[in-house]
Amino acid sequence: MQQPATQRTPLIEISEIHCRMVGECYPENIQEFSSPVMTELNKVVPISGEYTVDLELFYFNSSSAKFFFDFFEFFEEKAENGLAVKVNWNYRADDDTMLEAGEDFAEDLERCTFELKEVPMESSSS
Amino acid sequence: MLNNETLELHKFMQTRRTLFCYSGPLSEDLLTSISNPVRQQLSDVDSTDVVAKRVFGVFVEQAQNIIRYATLRSPETGDGVGTIAISQTDEEGFLIEAVNAIDSNKRTALENTLLELSMKDAGELRKMYKERLRSGPPEGSKGAGLGFIEMARRVQRFEFEVTDTEEGPVFVYRGYVS
Repeated sequence: MQQPATQRTPLIEISEIHCRMVGECYPENIQEFSSPVMTELNKVVPISGEYTVDLELFYFNSSSAKFFFDFFEFFEEKAENGLAVKVNWNYRADDDTMLEAGEDFAEDLERCTFELKEVPMESSSS
Repeated sequence: MLNNETLELHKFMQTRRTLFCYSGPLSEDLLTSISNPVRQQLSDVDSTDVVAKRVFGVFVEQAQNIIRYATLRSPETGDGVGTIAISQTDEEGFLIEAVNAIDSNKRTALENTLLELSMKDAGELRKMYKERLRSGPPEGSKGAGLGFIEMARRVQRFEFEVTDTEEGPVFVYRGYVS
């Protein structure tokens, strides 16, 4: 799955080894946004092996927070069942909001490896 | 004088240092359209990226409250009708305001929620947000039930009021971000 960023949704890449999201997330319709992503993850994320999740979010609204909560719950379950999941939470320097959000999501993840990574202000890579 | 009200409106907005104001039916489509101009205005005035993002975050939550919960709806489209504005203040940074009609049955619950939020510190709000995220939306919520907590976390302080009008109760929210 390859989905370019829009004004209100992040760039999304999902493969058998890697999931990446970069940008902002405050979709017009959270269900329409989240359903295809979760469906794709269910389809392609393997049972065992290694998997990397790279996130670099600049902003997400409260409706999207629930999506990310479910997103991480999905990977936590995969990790519990034997997939080695590495999550990179990239946040821009000075962005306390996204740092706090990362810390809070990390708190619920016991089986996934979660790393908070400070990136320069203008970065758009992982 | 052609029309005194028009000039007064202009003066009022200028004196108030209002960067953006919209009053009328609000939809997600419209929110998409106004997002860029609002951000442009915020970056044009003297604000850091962090502050601009917080202001925008509060603005989005307020807009979505109007879209989802305003009881006055446009007869043509069904969109929620409300007023939303961002202004600069002398002492407290940006003021983000929203006004919309609400359901009189929901009035007490809304007032209690906001009163509770107004008494919480940053750590308590953060904890509350997390707990709500885990427990899922409360009954009657069309979003995640997180909007007001999110706003409370982004503002330095907020004020709210429910005022009675002939058409029913009207909800006023004012959040300050600096």
